[in-house]
Amino acid sequence: MKEYLGILIIILLSSLVAILIVGISYFLGERKPKKVKLLPYECGMTTIGPSRRRISVKYYIFAMLFLIFDIEVLFMYPWAVITKDLKLFGFVEMFIFIVILLIGYFYVWRKGALEWE
Amino acid sequence: MVEHSYNLYLLLSAILFTIGAIGVITRRNGIIVFMCIELMLNAANLAFISATGIQKALEGMIFVFFVMTVAAAEAAVGLAIFVMIFRLKGTISVDEMNLLKG
Amino acid sequence: MAEIVFKWIVFFIASILSIFSSVMMVTRKNPVHSALWLVVTFISLAVLYFLLNATFIAISQVIVYAGAIMMLFLFVIMLIHLEKGPEEIGKMTVSRIFAVVLTVLLFVEILVGVYFYRAWTVKPEPMPFGDPKTVGKLLYTKYLFPFEIASVLLLVGIIGAVVLAKRRKM
Repeated sequence: MKEYLGILIIILLSSLVAILIVGISYFLGERKPKKVKLLPYECGMTTIGPSRRRISVKYYIFAMLFLIFDIEVLFMYPWAVITKDLKLFGFVEMFIFIVILLIGYFYVWRKGALEWE
Repeated sequence: MVEHSYNLYLLLSAILFTIGAIGVITRRNGIIVFMCIELMLNAANLAFISATGIQKALEGMIFVFFVMTVAAAEAAVGLAIFVMIFRLKGTISVDEMNLLKG
Repeated sequence: MAEIVFKWIVFFIASILSIFSSVMMVTRKNPVHSALWLVVTFISLAVLYFLLNATFIAISQVIVYAGAIMMLFLFVIMLIHLEKGPEEIGKMTVSRIFAVVLTVLLFVEILVGVYFYRAWTVKPEPMPFGDPKTVGKLLYTKYLFPFEIASVLLLVGIIGAVVLAKRRKM
């Protein structure tokens, strides 16, 4: 368990830095809000209409593909660690796994979901 | 850790599962209901891992790994269904989802 | 000795944080806020997995749940801009109180199952260490078939989501 102590230290350090940065500017900073200062772009165009526009569903397909292939890569971590012990057998089983997922990839490709019209 | 502590892990898993179940029953926003289901899955995962500690067999971890895979596929398809329902009806309140009602 | 005390401290912090953040997740009005509280729950659960020696599971919890799945959730919340969703908190209808009572009953039932109907004894061996190597050895030899089936499941996930979400060309 000792070798994971670094993770704890980095969690503590990063949260400390985040709290310090936000906290110091909160306590030390001056705030004199004016109408111009509260605009999204202080110098530049005034915004027209609400900024919360509906995003296109095209983004969703990319996020979903990221999720699925993220899982695929996660399956490859323990395989990569022991691939020397498994020899050819390990290669073949991972090959089958990836081929099955490649079918999905080509399906998405053929459907044109990867294109940005 | 002390052997006794597995009870505490199981208790925590039961508490989280109950919070998730309360959310599923009382909330009406479809996305939040879905998030509560993810929370319940996680509570079950915690119970699996503590069962690994009780039985000293690694099978629990393999189970949790497959539960994660299922949760990812479920999230991809389920959220797509929510997007389609929103396009069709303009709302994702679970009370309005009565398309299958005869 | 010091290590045991340290583990208890971490356990209590992580478990209280996970309960608190999941309660916040259920009660927030804004779905974006509840998604972010759910990320806090997932990360504190990852800490608990570390305490139980399941390091590989803890890492994949952070990568899959806190990283990818919640990213997808936030995407969908933004996509159908739900910041003001169909809301209802505060109304105490009869059916809702009844539902909460039922759920508390479920909780008691789980507790009875855990504490009184004990079908196991804690084995005295040391806790197995679930690093990627040990998990991988089991996953790629004994549980090979479920592993290949998982790829079919992911394939079905891809196809289902694309069929549902792809805009048809008119």
